[in-house]
Amino acid sequence: MSSGQKKRNFQIEAFKHKVVVDPKYAEKTWKVLEHAIHEIYNHNASGLSFEELYRNAYNMVLHKYGEKLYSGLVSTMTFHLQTMSKSIEAAHGGSFLEELNSKWSDHNKALQMIRDILMYMDRTFIPSTRKTPVHELGLNLWRDNVVHSDKIQTRLLNTILELILRERTGEVINRGLMRNIIKMLMDLGASVYQEDFEKPFLDVSADFYRVESQEFIECSDCGDYLKKAERRLNEEIERVSHYLDVKSEAKITNVVEKEMIANHMLGLVHMENSGLVKMLLDDKFEDLGRMYNLFRRVPNGLSTIRDVMTSHIRDTGKQLVTDPEKSKNPVEFVECLLEKRDKYDKIISLAFGNDKTFQNALNSSFEYFINLNPRSPEYISLFVDDKLRKGLKGVKEEDIELILDKVMMLFRYLQEKDVFEKYYKQHLAKRLLSGKTVSDDAERSLIVKLKTECGYQFTSKLEGMFTDMKTSQDTMQGFYATYGAELANGPTLVVQVLTTGSWPTQSSVTCNLPSEMLALCEKFRSYYLGTHTGRRLSWQTNMGTADLRATFGNGQKYELNVSTYQMCVLMLFNGADSLSYREIEQATEIPSSDLKRCLQSLACVKGKNVLRKEPMSKDIVEDDGFSVNDKFTSKLRKVKIGTVVAQKESEPEKQETRQRVEEDRKPQIEAAIVRIMKSRRVLDHNNIIAEVTKQLQSRFLANPGEIKKRIESLIERDFLERDNADRRLYRYLA
Amino acid sequence: MGVQKDRVKFNVGGRHFETTATTLAIAGRNSLFGAMFDENWDLDPTAAADEHFIDRNPDCFAVLLDLLRTGELYIPPNIPERLLHREALFYGLSDHLRAAKWGPFDGNTVRLSRSIPGRAPGDGTAIRAGPDGGCCVAHGSMVHVYDWAMEEHPPMNLDYQRVNDAVWADSNSIVLSACERLGRDDGGMGLFNASTGELKYKFHVTHDDQVKSFTGGALSLNSDYRLFGSCRGRSNEYGVGVWDQLSGKQVDFFYEPPGWSLGEADKLQWLHGANCLMVATLFPRKDNCYISLLDFRDKERMVWAWSDAGAPVGDERRVRDAIAMEECGSICVVNEYEDLGFMDLRRSGGAMRWRSRSPLMKGKMPDEPCYPKLALHQGQLFSSMNDTISVFCGPDWVLTSRLRNSYGGSICDFSIGGDRLFALHSEENVFDVWETRPPPIM
Repeated sequence: MSSGQKKRNFQIEAFKHKVVVDPKYAEKTWKVLEHAIHEIYNHNASGLSFEELYRNAYNMVLHKYGEKLYSGLVSTMTFHLQTMSKSIEAAHGGSFLEELNSKWSDHNKALQMIRDILMYMDRTFIPSTRKTPVHELGLNLWRDNVVHSDKIQTRLLNTILELILRERTGEVINRGLMRNIIKMLMDLGASVYQEDFEKPFLDVSADFYRVESQEFIECSDCGDYLKKAERRLNEEIERVSHYLDVKSEAKITNVVEKEMIANHMLGLVHMENSGLVKMLLDDKFEDLGRMYNLFRRVPNGLSTIRDVMTSHIRDTGKQLVTDPEKSKNPVEFVECLLEKRDKYDKIISLAFGNDKTFQNALNSSFEYFINLNPRSPEYISLFVDDKLRKGLKGVKEEDIELILDKVMMLFRYLQEKDVFEKYYKQHLAKRLLSGKTVSDDAERSLIVKLKTECGYQFTSKLEGMFTDMKTSQDTMQGFYATYGAELANGPTLVVQVLTTGSWPTQSSVTCNLPSEMLALCEKFRSYYLGTHTGRRLSWQTNMGTADLRATFGNGQKYELNVSTYQMCVLMLFNGADSLSYREIEQATEIPSSDLKRCLQSLACVKGKNVLRKEPMSKDIVEDDGFSVNDKFTSKLRKVKIGTVVAQKESEPEKQETRQRVEEDRKPQIEAAIVRIMKSRRVLDHNNIIAEVTKQLQSRFLANPGEIKKRIESLIERDFLERDNADRRLYRYLA
Repeated sequence: MGVQKDRVKFNVGGRHFETTATTLAIAGRNSLFGAMFDENWDLDPTAAADEHFIDRNPDCFAVLLDLLRTGELYIPPNIPERLLHREALFYGLSDHLRAAKWGPFDGNTVRLSRSIPGRAPGDGTAIRAGPDGGCCVAHGSMVHVYDWAMEEHPPMNLDYQRVNDAVWADSNSIVLSACERLGRDDGGMGLFNASTGELKYKFHVTHDDQVKSFTGGALSLNSDYRLFGSCRGRSNEYGVGVWDQLSGKQVDFFYEPPGWSLGEADKLQWLHGANCLMVATLFPRKDNCYISLLDFRDKERMVWAWSDAGAPVGDERRVRDAIAMEECGSICVVNEYEDLGFMDLRRSGGAMRWRSRSPLMKGKMPDEPCYPKLALHQGQLFSSMNDTISVFCGPDWVLTSRLRNSYGGSICDFSIGGDRLFALHSEENVFDVWETRPPPIM
C-alpha cells in the first residue's frame, strides 16, 4: 500500500505530534478506562468493548502516558478494594470467611480482565520502568487493603485457627472454603502465608499437642499412646494435603513429633509393664514397628530405642551364658543362643525395617555376652559336632546350610577364634577317624565358610585332614591291589596316614600289637615307605578301631566292634583262658590309664561284658584277673563296645586345652611384635600393645600381660632393646 | 455445523477477515486474541451477527494471521519489518514472530541474517549478545544498544570515558566498565537501562572504608546475581571486586597477589560447577599471560593458576584468549595464529597441550590483524581469526564450519546469545547477525 512511499520514521513522528496538540486526550482516554474498571468491579462488563479499551490503553502507553495510566490503575483499584474490605468487615460470624472468599474471587476475576486491557502496558511500559506488573500489583493491593486491614487481619487468623481446632476435636468443617482462603494467603506470597498464618498456626498447634500428650501419657499404656500419636500425625499430614501449603507438612509434623514423641521419649520407652522391654519380651512386632517409625522422626529417637534394646539383650544374654544349668548341655546352650538371635533378627526385620544400626547393636551385644563364658568356643564346636554326627540326618541340604550359617554367625562373635579352632580340630579328627561324620558335603561346606571368614591359614590344617583321609583311601587301594592275593585269608588292615601337624597332637606309646596284625602292619610300612621315600610312620594305636569275629563257649558267634587297645587285649585270650591285669599290661604295653578304661568297658558294662573279671567290682585294680565270659549273649550279632564319644571336656582336660592354646599363642604374639617392630623400628609400649591387639583380633584377644612377657622374652633373645634415654621405648635390632 | 460455530470475523482497518477460533487459540492466552475471547469478557466469538473491529493496519494483520495459521513467516516486500514488529507488539505476538524468524542456535547451520552499519568513529571494542536476541556494541566511550528487531535504542556512556567491557545483567539492563578520569569520580562501573539508556547506579569500590575511584576492566556475572569486575585502583588497589547486582552494593574484593595480575584482566568467566571465577590477563596488555581460578570463599590463595612468566615465549606460544570449559575440565586458549591449546583444570600449573596449525596460517596474516577470540556455546567452540569464525565440535574439537562475511574487514570481537551470533568488524564499523533458520515444516 502507501507505506512503501513514506519514510517509516517520519510516519511515527507525525502521529505523535498530533496527539500532543490535544491536551485533553490523555484525560479523556483515562476516563474511559477508569469507567471500565468500575464497571468490571460492579459485575457490569458486558457493555464494554474489549477492543476499544485495549486500543485506548495501548495509545496511552504509546503516547508516553504510561505513568498516568499506571497511577490511575493503582488509585482506582485501591478504591474498590477498600469498598470490598468494608463489606467483608461487616459480615457476621460464620459468613465472614465466605464473604472474604467471594470478594477474593471477584477481585481475581476483575484483576484478570484489567490485566487483559492493560496487556500492552504490562509488556512494554512496566519492564522498562521496573514497576510491579499488573497481576502482582493487584495481589499486593489486596494484601495491603484487605488482608492486612486492622479489622480483618486478626479476625481472619482467629477464625482459621478456631476452625482447625474444631476439626481436631472431631467436628466436620468446610474444607473447600478453608482451601480457598489458605490458597489466597499463599497467592499473596510466601511471606504472607508464613507470617499471617503458618507461624501462629504452628505455635497454637504446639500448645495443643503439649496439653494433649500430657493427658494421653497419664491414661494410656505405651502401645496405646503410640497409636494415638500416630493417628494425630496422620491427621496433620492429611490436613496439609487438603488445605495447607505442601511445605507446611514438615513443619507441622515436626511440632507433633516434638510435643508428642521427643518430649516423652524416655517416659514411653521405660513405661512400666508396657515399655520397650515388655514389647521385646512379648514379640509385639506391631507396637515395636510403630515405635520405630515414630521415634525415627525425632533426634536421638532411634538411639534411645537401640540403647534400651542393647542393654536388655546384654542382660538377658549374660544371664543365659552364665546360667550353670544351661552349661551342662552344650547343644542346648548353643540352641538357646540361636533362638535368642532368631528372635531379635525377626524383631529387627519385622519391626525395625532391617535397620543396619540395630543389626550392629544386636551383633555387638551378642559379641559382648557370648565371650563372657570362656567355654563358648568349645560349646559351639560341640554343637557342630552334634549336628554333623547325627543331628543332620534326613535334613535337606538347604537346611544344613542354614544351620551352618547360623553357626558361623555365632563364630563371628567369638573373640577367641583360635580356641574354637583347637576344639574344632579335635572334634573333627574324632569324626573323621571314627567315620562318624554324616555328610562330607556339610563338613566341607563349613570349612569353606571358615576359610572365607578367617582366611586360608585358619583352615589349612583342617583341609589337610580331609586330604589325608582321601589319600589314605587311595593308599589302601594301592596296598591291596599289590598284596591282595597273598593277604586274602588274613585280617584286613585299614590304615589312615595322618600328616603330623595337621591333626591334634597326641603323644602316645605304641602298644604291642598281636603278631598277625604286627606282620600286616610291617608289610604296610614297607609298602608305604617303598612308595614314599623320606617319610616316617609311627602307629597311633590309641586312635584305631577294630572289628573282631568272636566265637564264645556256647558256640554263639558275634562280631565285636572295639578299639585297637581292646582288640589287643581280646586277642590275648586266643591263647589263654584267663590272664591277670599284670600279664595283660606286660603283653600289650598299653598305658595303664588307657588299659584300665579299656578293661572296664570290656568287663564291667552290663550287656557288653565279653570278659569276666575276678573279683567282680566296678573298678579295675592291678590284682584283677580276667577270663572270657562264656555266657555272653546279645540280641544283636554286631556288638559295639566302649566307643569314646566326644563330650564336654572335664575340668583338667579343659585346663590342658587352655594351656595348649596359650602355648600356641606365644609364637603368634611374638611374630606380630617382630612384624610391627621391623616396620616401625622404634615404638613405645602402649602403641605396641595396641597394634599387636589389632593385628591378632581376628583370631583372639591378646592379653596385655602376655604381650609384655613376650616383649621381655624378645629382649632377652636380642630381637629388641629398650631405649637408653626413654625406658618406655623399644628399638628393633636388625 | 461445527465449522460454522468455529468461525470468527474481523474487520481490521476496513478490510474483512475470517478465521477460526482454533487458529486464534494458537496466539495463546497472553495475547490480544487470548484475552478478547476469554469467557470473562463474555464476547461470543461465534456471534456471527457482528464482526470484531480492530483499528490496525490490515496488511500486517494478514501477515500475522498467516503466521498463526501456518506457523511460518512470510513478509511481503512492501511491508517494512519495523512496522510488522510494532503490530506484533500490539497484538502480543512478538514471541511468535521471533520464533518464526530464527530457531535454536547451531554453529553448523547458522547463516548470515543481516549486517548492521555502525556509527562509531573509531575501532570497535566489544560486542555483547543480549538474552533476548538484542546486542550492545562498545566503541570508544559509547555503547549502542539494539533490540532483537535490530531497532536501535538510546546509546549509553559512563561520563564519556573509554569503555572496557559491557555485560547484560538481564534482558533490560547492561553493566558497563570504563576508565577512570584522573582526579574525579568518573568512570568505573555502572548499570544502565537497556531501553532508555539511563544510568541506574554506579558500582563503587571501597578500600578501608573509603570510596575510591578506579578503572573497570573485564566483567562477568553469576546466577546468584553477583557481578564480578576487574578493578585497577590508584594505589596498588588492584584485584577483582564483587557486587550485588540488585542492590549495587560491593560485597567482596579479591586483592591481586604479588607477581600476578587480576586488576587488568582481559576476561572474567564464572564457573558454575566449580563455584569459582576464571581471571585471564593476556598479552599485549601485560608482557606475560596469567590465568587463574579464584574461589571467593578462600581468598588466601588462588585455587588454580597458570602463567607463562619466565618461560621462553615465541609468538606461537603466546596466549591471546582463554575460555574455561567446565564439562571437559579444561581451559582452552588460542594464539595469534589461531592454534588451540588445552590445559587440565584438575592439575594446577599444568602443561599446555598445543594443537598446531600454524604452518598453514603464517604466510597469510593480513596487514592489520585482529587477535583471535574464543567462545563456547552448548558444546561448540568458536574462534575468530581475521574475517572468519571457525566452529569446532566433538570431544576432539574437529573444525566443522567456517563463518565468513567478506565485507567489513577483520573481526575484533564476537558474542553468542539469544540464539544469535554477533560479529563486530574493526574496519568498516559494521556488525553481522548470524542465526539458524527455524526448522523446515516439510
